[in-house]
Amino acid sequence: MVGLPYDCLANPLGAVRLTFEKAVASGSDPATFEGKDWGATDLFRQFIFDDGGLSQVPFLNPSTMTWVQPNTLVRFWGMIQDMLGNEFYVGAYKEGETWRTNKFADFSQFPMAVDSSPDMRVWERRLLYCVPVPGQNSWIEHSSESLFNPSSISSPLQREKRHREDDTAINDIDMQVTDEEVHACTSNKKMREGGIASNSSNTGDTLNEDIDSSTSVLPYFDRTSFPCLVKIYDSPESNLKLNDVFEFIGVFTFDPEFPVDKNDTNDLESSLCDDTLTQMPPSRVPRLHCLVHRKLATQDFISGSPTFELKSHLVKSIREALLGHLTSILGNDGVAANLITFSFYLQVHARVDSIAVGKLSLNLTCFNKETLSVFGHRLNLALKNLLPFTHCIPLSVDYLNKVSLVPKKDYQTNRLASGILQLAEGSHLTIDETQLQAGTLNSTGVENARVLRNLLELQKVEYDFTYYKMDMPADIQLLVLSEGKSNILPADLVLPLCPVSVDAAQDVETEVLRSWRWYLATMRSLSHTIEKEMQKVLEDDLVAARQADRSLSSLDFSRLLTMGRLVSLSFGETSLTLEHWKMANELERLRKERLQGSL
Amino acid sequence: MASDSSPVNTPGGANPSTPDVSISSPIGNTFSSPGDTDRRKRGRRSDTSTPVAPENRQFTTPDVTPTPRRGGRRASSTTPGAATPSYASDAPPSSEGGEGDDADEAPPMYVWGTNISVQDVNAAILRFLRNFREDSSQTEGKYMRAIHHVIEMEGDSLDVDAHDVFDYDGDLYTKMVRFPLEVLAIFDIVLMDMVSRINPLFEKHIQARIFNLKTSTSMRNLNPSDIEKMVSLKGMIIRCSAIIPEIREAIFRCLVCGYYSDPIVVDRGRINEPTICGKQECLARNSMTLVHNRCRFADKQIVRVQETPDEIPEGGTPHTVSLLMHDKLVDVGKPGDRVEVTGIYRAMTVRIGPAHRTVKSLFKTYIDCLHLKKTDKSRMHAEDPMEVENGVVGSDEHLDNEEKVEKLKELSKQPDIYERLTRSLAPNIWELDDVKKGLLCQLFGGNALSLSSGASFRGDINILLVGDPGTSKSQLLQYIHKLSPRGIYTSGRGSSAVGLTAYVAKDPETGETVLESGALVLSDRGICCIDEFDKMSDSARSMLHEVMEQQTVSIAKAGIIASLNARTSVLACANPIGSRYNPRLSVIDNIHLPPTLLSRFDLIYLILDKADEQTDRRLAKHIVALHFEDPENSEQEVIDLPTLAAYLSYARKNIHPELSDEAAEELTRGYVEMRIRGNFPGSSKKVITATPRQLESLIRLSEALARIRFSEKVEKKDVMEAFRLLEVALQQSATDHATGTIDMDLITTGVSASERMRRENLVSTTRNIIMEKLQLGGPSTRLLELLEDAKKQSSGGEVHLADLRNALATLATEGLVVVHGDTVKRI
Repeated sequence: MVGLPYDCLANPLGAVRLTFEKAVASGSDPATFEGKDWGATDLFRQFIFDDGGLSQVPFLNPSTMTWVQPNTLVRFWGMIQDMLGNEFYVGAYKEGETWRTNKFADFSQFPMAVDSSPDMRVWERRLLYCVPVPGQNSWIEHSSESLFNPSSISSPLQREKRHREDDTAINDIDMQVTDEEVHACTSNKKMREGGIASNSSNTGDTLNEDIDSSTSVLPYFDRTSFPCLVKIYDSPESNLKLNDVFEFIGVFTFDPEFPVDKNDTNDLESSLCDDTLTQMPPSRVPRLHCLVHRKLATQDFISGSPTFELKSHLVKSIREALLGHLTSILGNDGVAANLITFSFYLQVHARVDSIAVGKLSLNLTCFNKETLSVFGHRLNLALKNLLPFTHCIPLSVDYLNKVSLVPKKDYQTNRLASGILQLAEGSHLTIDETQLQAGTLNSTGVENARVLRNLLELQKVEYDFTYYKMDMPADIQLLVLSEGKSNILPADLVLPLCPVSVDAAQDVETEVLRSWRWYLATMRSLSHTIEKEMQKVLEDDLVAARQADRSLSSLDFSRLLTMGRLVSLSFGETSLTLEHWKMANELERLRKERLQGSL
Repeated sequence: MASDSSPVNTPGGANPSTPDVSISSPIGNTFSSPGDTDRRKRGRRSDTSTPVAPENRQFTTPDVTPTPRRGGRRASSTTPGAATPSYASDAPPSSEGGEGDDADEAPPMYVWGTNISVQDVNAAILRFLRNFREDSSQTEGKYMRAIHHVIEMEGDSLDVDAHDVFDYDGDLYTKMVRFPLEVLAIFDIVLMDMVSRINPLFEKHIQARIFNLKTSTSMRNLNPSDIEKMVSLKGMIIRCSAIIPEIREAIFRCLVCGYYSDPIVVDRGRINEPTICGKQECLARNSMTLVHNRCRFADKQIVRVQETPDEIPEGGTPHTVSLLMHDKLVDVGKPGDRVEVTGIYRAMTVRIGPAHRTVKSLFKTYIDCLHLKKTDKSRMHAEDPMEVENGVVGSDEHLDNEEKVEKLKELSKQPDIYERLTRSLAPNIWELDDVKKGLLCQLFGGNALSLSSGASFRGDINILLVGDPGTSKSQLLQYIHKLSPRGIYTSGRGSSAVGLTAYVAKDPETGETVLESGALVLSDRGICCIDEFDKMSDSARSMLHEVMEQQTVSIAKAGIIASLNARTSVLACANPIGSRYNPRLSVIDNIHLPPTLLSRFDLIYLILDKADEQTDRRLAKHIVALHFEDPENSEQEVIDLPTLAAYLSYARKNIHPELSDEAAEELTRGYVEMRIRGNFPGSSKKVITATPRQLESLIRLSEALARIRFSEKVEKKDVMEAFRLLEVALQQSATDHATGTIDMDLITTGVSASERMRRENLVSTTRNIIMEKLQLGGPSTRLLELLEDAKKQSSGGEVHLADLRNALATLATEGLVVVHGDTVKRI
């Protein structure tokens, strides 16, 4: 990259300015730039994707926060947790006779007349509040962090430890802040305490003192402690949706010196323009002025892994190995292993009215204390190793009564307070019902149980906006572990677990794990169709089945077809073959047999 | 209007038609302090300057408080007396004789940066206020009357319908929307002038409150180009701040001599505290102190409004916007209200700190509220049926959009609209076409009728679906619930009587008893969908009797006696007893519902799962297609949900079909025929096949069918289709399985005529046996012996013990026998 008059990496704003000046010089009127790009993002696109600059862009995360310089190019992986609406800013203005731009920056680089002239152009940008993907497993960070890290911060191995470090890392930053600022911070904190304490665990205010207590209440939801405020320019609204996982590449601004002066501002101003500035002072929440963003698919998380060719024998061998592994984990229960793998390729691929086509939730029954401690634990571990985002909900009466599962809009802060069920697409959720005892549910508990049931049946989560509820489509792989058939959570597939033997847990080599992850991610993303002839066969089969057994409903058919689809996907096939259809039927038969046997 | 279009800024100081222009534009331009915009606001407030303020029209700076331009106008209580008379005397032609031609006499003044002439606008507003009439027969203009009314009521605002402005003068409307600050200022001056001429003693200021703009913006689409424009948007209030008292006029008192200063008006958001006592004798320094209770304050409130759920695109969160409310608007709405706001979209810069002069390059936006209309009156209050019918309250659906209406009308002209709508209704539920047609009729509904005698006939159609499990009844219900303009979905098991009707609760804050409406009341003018109807408790179900015929819910508890409207259609679905329909039993036996309730349903559909390969195949095909095809491709020619909903609400609101003579004749004929059908030739027994209730149902159905076609006349074919629908429904439900004929008795009493006949026969047989065998006062007989005899005697069919017991019970009431356990004794 020698010879370029700018450095995209270290001085992205310089590059932006350069392109702006160039565009103005070539005769374009800056007034026409509103909602458009004058060539800046093209430049960065080229730099990042075509010139291979992507790998040089450092990740923004708690550990890199210590050394990443403000106003440099960074990238951030996160889930859109809340949308904070639009922000109007002075996009272009005249300094003397020269046009300047403020795009991709918090402050103007050049003095700007306060009430300036008609030559001031107001543009808008969108604010997105992003958090690390909830339930993100540690292996993702291994791949993302180990690559660049000039300073020798070793990637911490354990979550808990890592979490502590996050805190200290940011506290360190805080230390650098001038005394005055610290003072302002604390006073601000005091002022705001009432507001924040209620949703502190969710707004993800890292520095909040009660973060520890809040994590103890929500032990499985502590990953959102590194939020980032992403400012999006010129992107149609429909491109970025709530709960989508994105990679944002842009200019990082973080201003620990930013004065917080809430004390003196009058009420009108604070209530008119409260929110973002007060709750998320730039000294806590980094800003990212997004230049380029792209939606992340599961494969993107497995960076650095060898890309395998999509050959059927290779796929088959990986599939066999993975199935073997899961079978041994589940005490040689092949059917269970098969069904569990199904959920890995699941994807809600269509929604017709209220029906989510392609969902398949599994309920493994016959878990008791002993089997749970052996298999449940091992299963969890395996899931964590295989899937990018996993979650586990230990269902108990107490838990149901206390926890807030659904995201709720907090009108005091005007923010969407996250709930446990605000999950990214494709997350895996294990609901452990074995700890459920008899007890009384209060209204929260009843509501929570209803929400879980809705999720299971419709793949939808109802977000609570106090005055109304809003359905958000979800795409979550669900696994319910229970003693008997779960009545609270009616899953599509119920299977009693029949462990035959308990093998010692085997360690899997990293390389193998990687290939499995790759396999799962790739298979999941495959599209799937069905040939005309096969459709005919399916129809005949279904009709015959229904003639034989009147109790079969459309739901059963749906399930069977989904299973067929998943079997065929697991072989890396893009269309259903008779063989795979038979396999699906066979599995269903085995499952029903076992269900009969267990009754 | 302005023929002279040169954008000259004429200093207006010497202009006779604009009183007291204290600040001329060029001077204003030289100001560059952050607070200078407030001067313009003050100018506006004092009502004496023309709105030709030149400085940046777009942004106000948060000096100390971004004092909004409205609300403060009362502050200038001293000015109108001085200013208006001069105005009136100086410019008589503008206000009396010539309408707006005074522009020729005075040098034109322009709104800064535009070619809008102040005089032109002034004259246009005057013309509008004087001459606008809703219809030509009225002698006095609508707004002249309104102004008189305001003066009488001592009000302080005049509501101006923007539609009226548009109808009268489109140009004025455009100017008003594009330059609201300026035009509204002129508006206020004109109003002030008019008022003072009508009643010179009237002290208050009347502000124009514009509402009902032609176009309504969505909160999401507000963008920088809307700044300083008049916008109108719909939303829901989510948060109201406390009321903020804002000082308008301050009075100071000298601590030394007790001298009270003159009122000091807020200037640029600040009060300039006098440092020296105003009294000549005193002149003490730094002795002035604020006298709080003699200052004047105005109310101010900040309200946050959020998008309504229907405007949020998929995968988005609702946007919010702040509103600034003043004076009378304060506390008009409370959190949870749906409102329609008209106001001026404003932006202000964000300063880094109060001590810093530098501003960030950011703006905070808010809407300076002019008018607030609650669009969703609490249903408990919207009780005047006429009002609802006229669409005054039902304005939540904005269908004034003419284009849209045209489209709908075009759609309604299609010959196959009925079939098309049927197809579009729950397209992923196949078959069940007749059920869907029935549901369609329910959605459109008939005409409610209330006679002057007080009798009223409901227009709502009630439907009951009974069927085997897994026949997508619940899905149909869900779909209808989504589609109906106002619907509540409940499940029978989860509903209690109070939950359905209304209950009295104590407000936790105020301790007042409040009436909370239940599902049925809430779905007034909508459809109440009740799933699992059979599993509902009896007490809850009995509440429905009143609702389904009288359409009201009466309550008498905890000191509240009320009758609430519940003009709702009920769509219920039930599973047969024993989960599968037993074709050998009657409907009543199958669903186990009281006949009294059952007869209130206009249509009862049986959705049976027949073991039919054809249907199975279709099901299989459907599911396969669902899984492996693009669902969008498979649904063609289907009207999408929003259009369907719009179609529906338009029809419900605007189409009120009446029976044509032909249709009425057909109805009579058909009804008579239905009743005749019950008389079997050569049989003395009479089977009632139709009741007056059915006739009413037929009328409702045919009205609904006419409505589907957007037709104001019910035609013969509608009636015929209604008969067909009713027959289809009846054939399925009211078939007497013993005789195979339609029998309304089955519905109304639960016992078919033939069954009744059989019972009567048994009674007479038993009577004969007893008369023969038993002596008066003789020894008793055992029941089983009687049964044997009865079996021998009765000509055909089995005689069960239970039947016999029934017969004996009848005889016992006649005083013929006494039944003691298993023994029977004649007395």
